Amino acid sequence: MERKKQRARSDPGRAMLLTVMVFFFLGFFLLAIKDGSWQCFVLSVLVPAIVFFGTTVISRLFPSDKLLLALTNFLCALGVLMLYRISPTRGMTQALNYGVGVVCMILSAMLVRYMPKTKTLTILMMIGSLGFLTLPILIGTETNGAKNWMSVGGYSMQPSEIVKLALLWCLAYMLSQRKYILSILFGGACLLILMLQKDLGTALLYYALCLVLLYASTGSLLLVGTGLAGGAGAAVVGYQMFAHVKARLAIWQDPWQYTQGAGLQIVRSFVAIANGGLWGVGLGLGNAGNSTRAGGIPEAYNDFIFPVILHEFGTIFGLIVLGMYLFIVIRAVMIARRSRTVFYGLLAIGCATLIAVQTFVIIGGNIKLIPLTGVTLPFISYGGTSMVSSLCVIGFLQGIASRNAAGVDEDRALAMEGGGLR
Amino acid sequence: MKKLRKNIMRISLVLMSLFFVLAAYGAYTISINGNRWFSSTVNEYAREKRSDVIPGGILDRNGVVLASADEAGKRSYPAAENVRRATVHAVGSSAFNMKSSAEYFFASYLYGFNLTLPERLGYVFSGQKYHGDNVQLTIDSALSAYVAQIFPSDKRGAVLVMNYRTGEVLTEQSFPSFDPADTAAAPAGSSINRCTQSLKAPGSTFKMVTAACAIENYADYQTRVFRCDGLLQLGSRTVIDAGTDLSAGKITKHGSVTLEKAFQVSCNNTFASIALEIGDQKLRATAEKFGFNDNFLFRDIVVENSSYPLTNRTDAEIAWTGAGQSALAVSPLHMCLIASSIANGGVMMEPRTLIAVTAQSGARRMSFSEKVYRRPLTAAQAEILKGYMRGVVTGGTGTAAAVSGVKVCGKTGSAEIDTQENTNAWFVGFLDESASPYSLVVVVEDAGGGGSVAAPIARQIFQWLIKNASAAK
Repeated sequence: MERKKQRARSDPGRAMLLTVMVFFFLGFFLLAIKDGSWQCFVLSVLVPAIVFFGTTVISRLFPSDKLLLALTNFLCALGVLMLYRISPTRGMTQALNYGVGVVCMILSAMLVRYMPKTKTLTILMMIGSLGFLTLPILIGTETNGAKNWMSVGGYSMQPSEIVKLALLWCLAYMLSQRKYILSILFGGACLLILMLQKDLGTALLYYALCLVLLYASTGSLLLVGTGLAGGAGAAVVGYQMFAHVKARLAIWQDPWQYTQGAGLQIVRSFVAIANGGLWGVGLGLGNAGNSTRAGGIPEAYNDFIFPVILHEFGTIFGLIVLGMYLFIVIRAVMIARRSRTVFYGLLAIGCATLIAVQTFVIIGGNIKLIPLTGVTLPFISYGGTSMVSSLCVIGFLQGIASRNAAGVDEDRALAMEGGGLR
Repeated sequence: MKKLRKNIMRISLVLMSLFFVLAAYGAYTISINGNRWFSSTVNEYAREKRSDVIPGGILDRNGVVLASADEAGKRSYPAAENVRRATVHAVGSSAFNMKSSAEYFFASYLYGFNLTLPERLGYVFSGQKYHGDNVQLTIDSALSAYVAQIFPSDKRGAVLVMNYRTGEVLTEQSFPSFDPADTAAAPAGSSINRCTQSLKAPGSTFKMVTAACAIENYADYQTRVFRCDGLLQLGSRTVIDAGTDLSAGKITKHGSVTLEKAFQVSCNNTFASIALEIGDQKLRATAEKFGFNDNFLFRDIVVENSSYPLTNRTDAEIAWTGAGQSALAVSPLHMCLIASSIANGGVMMEPRTLIAVTAQSGARRMSFSEKVYRRPLTAAQAEILKGYMRGVVTGGTGTAAAVSGVKVCGKTGSAEIDTQENTNAWFVGFLDESASPYSLVVVVEDAGGGGSVAAPIARQIFQWLIKNASAAK
């Protein structure tokens, strides 16, 4: 009882949640007045409602990290807002994706909290994910040089986004059981399939995940060094083998030479950022998100959503968004540190890695720090699979956080009985 | 578990540093490139917004209005026609994508994109259109008009004059020019700024760089003797000197010469053998010290990057590079910067075209100060090269640029272009006078020798500069 009261008094989440909800109500309301469309009025109520639901419902089920939830929901809702502004139909779809994602987040949190971690399950997951990952090669469609999409019953999806989660789970489980060889083989097989699909951005992400988990569990710099050397070798082979990798690298070196072709996206992204300045041109007032308007960034809803945010909200807001990702990663690291078993520790640091590396790869590509590779910006980019997998990562973290808290409670109970293990 | 926690903390440092790298690089690239991105010709957003704004005026260094706008936002050019034509490449015209002109590169000031929030609100509540800021350029309209008047009217070319102590550009002109008030009559290609946007072989003016390389690498550069027999056979190509006509059996020879003498008479054979002896790598290193192969990111002027070839080359190519031909590409402005660094004791100032930005209320919004771009030479090396360049004007190929009673230094060039009948005539030089610290470059395309065509134009400009030294201050 005592503790509950304390928690309620020092809850920073409530004021924050309210601010976030008001922000999005106003955002959609403004767009609604501008467009005069009833859907947008609906969204101005619906999105804050999902934010409320997504932030509070897990806390009601079991102990959780509320700050992490609030930040995540802010980013997801920001994605819906920007996508609606770019294209109302995509915005409506994304609101649906967001709702589904929140449900998946809750399910995955419960999965981590309650599901037994068994060998059989992990092996089944491994076989399933290898099969699933191979599917696009057999029945998939090619977009932007990579063959990583497939359609099932009218819905297109990207298996690598879901397998990402299975890879994380399986590696964390096997490494916690000290099955290093099997882990490396499994990670390597996934990477190979991705290379065959020419999905290099995702391959980079998987690769970073494997390296981080290997290092976390073994602490061996030799192993990581070998992994890095292998990765460098694979990068060279990839460069030699794939024409679209060469083209991407050429664009990276000087996009201004390709303003009529493949460099158009990044050049317009630069111009959009410059037009935004520090404070942005204002929500709904820019041209960058709208590919039908002169100077719009083609396919801004996917890889180039961040420059559109910089364009309309300004560079300072962009830095704040970047800070939010950083905070999410910091919270994930704290959860990893507090976790009470090797499995949970690895799972949590893996979650932190996925979010940090994916954000770095796509924003770094947007501002020409690194060559552009097609990965989505977690929580914000358009796409159901991407939204679900990003929110499942947060769900994992919440599950682990609740186990940590449960562990604390168990310890307290033990200590009170005088039989503490510590 | 303890080890895992330690590893997790190490990993978290790496993950967090990713975000700091993103933020730091983002801030860096936006501050360096932001205005270039904004003023690029593909900026449709700015193009749209321009029509809702009354653009600010463009003034020369003495306050002469070069461009203004009426209440509807329509541009007018109040100066006399000859001044309009002489300043159009610095001022720009909205009819053409002139990315290095004030109209484009300073658009964020001229079109009110830099207005503060209170100012914007003030305009919105009073129901007025935004009114952009005025910009004052370093350009001197009187000098510009004079240069346009003496430049041969039937030739293409470029003239740029700058103050080598401050980097201020006093005039940047490209011929043929056009009248911004009558853009329909503009001749084809006249919107290109040949001072900054057109890369050419520098011809013998590049010997400033080769000589700097020789001074750096030969301890005995003062006494060393080079042999010029008029012909230097390298594979299927031959290095020859100006005046040599093999079909007529006429060969120009300079005999035994020192570096100083070879520079004065612009001996191709000597500079070719220097390039061969010292080697491509070292010559490139010197050229890069002067800014070749650098990405020019000057604050308020857009200049195409100069290039010194990077890859494996034959001896003949290396030899011709020493004499300023063979795959070198450089803008007239950059050659003027090189001469300026020699004039300014080895310090190359960043070229500038902007003095100040002033709000419509009259308040000065921002002003700009001089900045060192790089230091390619020591003061002693600069002094030696200055002596060589003085020799060119007193007793070498550039005597036509001499002005009595004034120390004029310079270097001529006659660059061969495959598609042209005649050479491009170059003269780069400066006044070694503390009261008139001006350097200039004159390029007359397809016109003949630098000493006979470009140097006399330079002389007239020097005379004007000395006469009007106080006015041009």
